[in-house]
Parts: sequence; structure tokens; C-alpha cells
Amino acid sequence: MRTGFIISGTGHMALILWLLLGGLFARVDEPEFTATDAVILSESDFALLSQPGPPPEDPAPAADAPPAPEEAPAPALPSADDAPTTAGVPEIPETAEPDSAPDVSAIAETARPEVASVAPDAPVSPPEEPEENAPVTAHDAPPDSAPAPADRVAPSPAPPPEPEVRIADSLQPARQPDESRTATEEVQQETAPEAAAPEIVTEAETVRDAVARASPRPPSRPARPAPAADPPPDAPTPESDSLNDTIEEAIARANEPADTTPDTTPRAFGPPLTQGERDALRVAVQTCWQVDVGSEAANITVVIGMSMDRDGKVVNGSLKLLSSEGGSGRAAEIAFQAARRAILRCQRGGYQLPVEKYDHWREIEMTFNPETMRTR
Amino acid sequence: MRPFARLAPILAPALAALLLIPGLPAQTALAQGTQGPLRIEITEGVIEPLPFALPVFVAENAAAGQMAQRISETVAADLTGTGLFRRIGPEAFISRVTAFDSPIRYPDWRAINAQALIVGAVNVSASGQVTVKFRLFDVFAGQEMGEGLQLGGSESGWRRLAHKVADTVYSRITGERPYFDSRVVFVAETGPKNDRRKRLAIMDYDGENIRYLTDASSIVLAPRFSPAGDRVLYTSYESGIPRIYMMEVSTAQRRVLDDQQGIMTFAPRFSPDGQSVVYSLSTGGNTDIYVLNLSGGQPRRLTSAPSIETAPSFSPDGGRVVFESDRSGAPQLYVMPATGGEVRRISFGEGRYGTPVWSPRGDMIAFTKQNAGRFHIGVMRADGSEERLLTASFLDEGPTWAPNGRVIMFMRETAGAGGAPSLYSVDISGRNLRRVNTGGAASDPAWSPLLP
Repeated sequence: MRTGFIISGTGHMALILWLLLGGLFARVDEPEFTATDAVILSESDFALLSQPGPPPEDPAPAADAPPAPEEAPAPALPSADDAPTTAGVPEIPETAEPDSAPDVSAIAETARPEVASVAPDAPVSPPEEPEENAPVTAHDAPPDSAPAPADRVAPSPAPPPEPEVRIADSLQPARQPDESRTATEEVQQETAPEAAAPEIVTEAETVRDAVARASPRPPSRPARPAPAADPPPDAPTPESDSLNDTIEEAIARANEPADTTPDTTPRAFGPPLTQGERDALRVAVQTCWQVDVGSEAANITVVIGMSMDRDGKVVNGSLKLLSSEGGSGRAAEIAFQAARRAILRCQRGGYQLPVEKYDHWREIEMTFNPETMRTR
Repeated sequence: MRPFARLAPILAPALAALLLIPGLPAQTALAQGTQGPLRIEITEGVIEPLPFALPVFVAENAAAGQMAQRISETVAADLTGTGLFRRIGPEAFISRVTAFDSPIRYPDWRAINAQALIVGAVNVSASGQVTVKFRLFDVFAGQEMGEGLQLGGSESGWRRLAHKVADTVYSRITGERPYFDSRVVFVAETGPKNDRRKRLAIMDYDGENIRYLTDASSIVLAPRFSPAGDRVLYTSYESGIPRIYMMEVSTAQRRVLDDQQGIMTFAPRFSPDGQSVVYSLSTGGNTDIYVLNLSGGQPRRLTSAPSIETAPSFSPDGGRVVFESDRSGAPQLYVMPATGGEVRRISFGEGRYGTPVWSPRGDMIAFTKQNAGRFHIGVMRADGSEERLLTASFLDEGPTWAPNGRVIMFMRETAGAGGAPSLYSVDISGRNLRRVNTGGAASDPAWSPLLP
């Protein structure tokens, strides 16, 4: 009895410690996970209209969600009626079963019925999605084939899984780092860099074209929920595979209170802007920033604050000079005016910013530093 | 079982604590990721002219029709001549400006990418009095830049009115001090290269309104404006040897400075207060720098070296003098206090440096550099750092600063028997090199201060 107990105890302790330590190392990645959660949040609004029930169930799936993203796209394509939308659906049942059986029966059950209900929803959503996808693909598609597909997949599948998405969101942020450990973390990390690197280049290069097409954005808003849905379906599968059910249960129970509170926060904010999205904005503005390199103003760095509306346009009268460095007040005013012209002139129909991440760019602080321009 | 049972009370809280820990970093990470504005840094802009729209100024009475056209064109020419602005042709305009006070339809101007809009009106009274009023708008900000302004003058002085309008626009947009309403004194040259006739001439900065201050009876060199623009210093061979003269611009009356026997004086410049003149004095084969108080007294010697010291120029605060000296074996640039004393070398590049001129802003020194068979106009900071060559040609020489320290005018001479000097201007960024139309050969330009 003792030996069995001791072996069991030490084994579990080792597992728990392993999970905890793994979680510590994994923390760096957490922001990325939260980012996926944020997408989910936007869907929640959609879900409220259609299904009230799912939200309580969410916590368990949420924990699973983060690791999934890589795996999701591949399975999705074969099963799919529509490549993106169906992809999420097939995975969901798989993930739900492993996790739910040991952890919580209720979660598993809820997940299955949702899948069935989701299927009918999917066809409805696709028409809306195309609008979103069109602008997205314009930015992402050209750069790299590998990363681009992942992003595209995510936006499209979202609509069907909506109920699931909510579930996934609540639990995921807190638990994933602990449970998923190195294996899950590695998977996520790899995907993130790939997507980011190609996107940056392409968006930057295509910015000018994108600017001209900026006007179509408004229609895309309804589709936003879709991207959120993708991350949750993916997440569940990795978690279930990697860890023991019992351990997960214990951890989940311990973390539940903590997890629920964080989940609400991520919903309010989407994932942070990718480097590519930030670069797109930067390039869009700098193509309109006319620097008079012989002037005193070319010695001055100004920081400008502004508020944005959901169309990607600067709110009237919100542009203001926050600080300046390097010269007199008169020259600083000139530098401010030049920067203001750049921002206002290049926004045209609105800057190409992901609407689902609106909370991240509602307020923008832009620094104009002409230092490297002077020496040209 | 027993040992484990004993440990259980200890382990249980420890385990619980361990399990709870992972949730904490997750929460903080979420909070960090969602707070604060999006921060973007922009370090790469574009260097290109700013497009502006300048509809022909509204003529408020019949007599003002032609005047409105002329003034509009001159204002536009001043702005585009800087290389910093580009005029949008009227054929692109969507809305017409028919009255000075009519409201501005910003979207119409944004649509043609006009960043600045200048609206004006001209009135010519029966007595020949011209009145110009104008307003400047930042089209994309949707607001007026500064207050509307009204200027008046005589009909013959309409060019100065136009320059004043352009100066105001230029200054409001770029933040630079104005310089269009200024003049340049120079040496107008006629005749073949072996019998060149030289006259002192004065013109508007853009080459208009040329008038001659001297006849061609003697060789004249290197005129320099006083800080107030009312007097000109120049060197003349009238007496057979170079001597410095000072002329009142308004009356063309002149007098010789420092008329000691047996000396040559040349390369004069006013001090910033206009009360004294610094110049080179050559006697017994040695050239040194002297300063002379115009209100009287004897010249005071600032340098005393066996080498040649020449081409002195005051700093705008009057505290220092930059000059050229070959004390190191080849001509280089040096700075010393305006009272003489310790000399510090500031140019260390290859080649020969000469004709240094301190910028009106005080931050830069322009110079002529000769290296590897070519001449350059260059600028460096007052401490000799950040040397930058702006031009290169067979012969570039004699830089002079615009009153705002932003533009340099100089003389460029072409090679060969048919070669002739002419005047060029260049932005201190090295861009926008362009020839000044003087109607003939010209050399030794000197820019006046901004006219009152």
C-alpha cells in the first residue's frame, strides 16, 4: 500500500511540478494566448444573440484552446464543406472527448451538442465572412504560403463554432501555460513567428494598395466573430493529448476561480496587434510624412496622441501634441503640423487596422523621429 | 501510509499553493497585454515638395485684374522656387474661389491632395495704391493657419507685396524665417573673358529689378551688405590697387576705408551690429586680419602671423570670427575670438578651404573647397563637424547665406574660353540647385538681410 501510495504521490507531485515549471517558462507566450482569447470575445456577442446556454460550459474548453491553432487548419480542410468553416468543427468533438471524459462530464456533453448545432450555423456565416476575408487576404496572402493559410483559416471557421468559442475563452488563458508545458508551448510559438514574419513584409509592401481599398472595411465588422472561434477549437486537442486527465482536473479545479476573472478581461480586449499589422500602420503614415530635412523641425521628435474610430479614422479634434524633444516651441509646432498632415492625409477612408482588435488601437501614440532622415 | 499521512497536512496546503500559482502570472500577463495606447514610432518619411493650391487671387475691382494675376504668379514662383512646395494646376481644382470670404470646402481640396490652400484678393485704388489680403489653410487639418493678413503698397512695388505674401506663407508652413523679400548685390559682368567689364549691381533675390550701382570704369569685387541693408562694402581697383569702399545704397555715395599709403585692403565684412568692419590688410607681402570701427579710430590688428590670413566673417552674435589661413601649409579654416587671440582650426579635410561665411542662424559655416581638381560649396557646423559638400563643378566659389540661413547662393563659372560666371542657389540640404536669372554673367553674390 505504502509503496503504491508513495509511487503514486511522487509521480503526481513530479507531474504537477513539471507542469508548474513548464508554465513558468511558458509565461512569455501567454500574451499570444490571450490574443486568441480576445478574438473569441467578439464572437461571444454573436453567440448571445443565438445561444445563451454555452457560456457556462466554456471554462473547460478554454483551457484547451491555446495549443490547438497549428493542428486545427490541417484537419479542417478535409472534413470541411467550406475549407475554413468545417475545419474547426471536426476537431471539436475529438478534443472534447479526451478532456471531458476525465475532467468534467458536463463539458464533454455540452461540447458535442454544440458541434451539431454549429453545423447549420456555418452556412449562414460564410456569406458574411467573405467580406472580412477579402481585405485580410489582400494583406496576408501575398507574403508566405505557410503562415498565411493559418490566418485565413482562423477567420473563416469562426462563425460555426461560436458557442464553443465562449467556452474555450474562459478557461484558456490561465490554465494553458501550466498544463500545456513545453510541448504545447512550442507548437504555438512556432506558428506565431511564422505568421508574423511574412505578414509584416507583405502588409508593409501592400499598404499603399490597402489604403486605397480601405473603404470596404466597415461591412466586414459582422464577420469578426469568426476569427475568435478558430482558436478555441484548436486549443482543446493539444491539451487533452499532452497531459493526464486527473492532473488536469485537479489543476482546473484549483484554477477555476482565478481563470474565470481573467477570461472576462481578455474578452474586452482582443489579441495585441501583430508586428505586421503595426508595420502596416507605420508604413501607411510614413509614406505621407514629408520631412523638410533642412529645417529646424527636422531636429525635433514629436509624440502625437490620437483617438481612432472603428473605421480606422482619426476622431475629429483628437490629434494632439503629447511631447516634443530637440528644439524650440516654434519648430516643435511645425514638426507637429507636418506629422498631423501625414496622419490625416494618409488615412483617406481609414487606416487598415483589424476591427476585432479595435480596443488595442482605440488610442494611438505615434512618435515621429526624423533623426535618420537628416543624414540622408 | 503512515509517513504519508503525517506529511499530508503539510503537503496539502503546499500543493494547493502550487496549483494556484500558475493562475497569477496568467492574470498579470493579460492585464499587461490590454492596457495603454498603441505605440508606433515612425522614423522614415519622404522628402518631396508639399503640394499647395493657389487659385488666382480675386480681383476686387476692375483695375486689379492684371495685378492679381501677377501677384499670384509671383507668390507661387517664390514657393515653388524653394523646392519645398509644388503648385497644383488650376485645371485640377474642383471648387472655384470667387470671393475672398467664401467658406472653404475642404473635401474639394483634399480630393486633389492639396495640403495647403492660399486664398487672396487684390484691390487697386484709383490713386494707385495696391492692397493684398490673403488667408492660408491647412487643408487636411481643416483649419486656417494663422490669421488672414492684409498688405498695402504702391503699384510699382507690387513685387515686394507678393514676396511678403509668399514669405508669410513659407514661414507659417515651414517654420523658417522668411527670405523672399530680400535683395542680392553682385558683380555684373559683360564682355569677353580677356576684357571683362564689371559693375556692381543689385537685384531682388529672384533676379528681378536689376539696377547698377557703379559704372564699368574700374574693376570691382566682392560686395557685402550691411546688416541693415542700407550700405554695401566692396573692393575696387579704382586707385590702381585694391581698396575697400563703402557705399550708401540709396544715394550711391561712397567713401574709401583705411586709406593708409602702401597697403592693400580687401575681403571686408560688416560686424553684426554694423558698427565695424573686419577685413584683410596686406603690407610688405604679409596679409593679416584687421577690424575698423566705422565711427572713428585706428584699425586694430587681430592676427599677426607670417602666413596669409584672409576672408574673415563674424559669427551672428559678433563674438567670434572665422577666417582662412595657410599657416598649416595649405588654406584651412580657423576660428578666433572677435577681439583676436587664441586661434582654433576647424577644417581638417583634404584639399583647400576658403571664403568661410558664418550662417545667420549661427549653427553653420559655408565655405568653398577645392579638392582633386574640382570646386565645391560646402557647409559644416561651427565647430567643424558634419562637413557636407553641396555642389561640385569646374569652379564654384563665394557662398552667401539667405537671411534665414536656409539657402546659399554662389558663383559658378564654366570652363573654356567661352566660360562665364553665373549665380546659383542651393538649399543647405544639398537639394534644389538652380540658376538665378541675372540676364547676363554675374559673380560675387552677397545676400541682403530681409527688407523691412
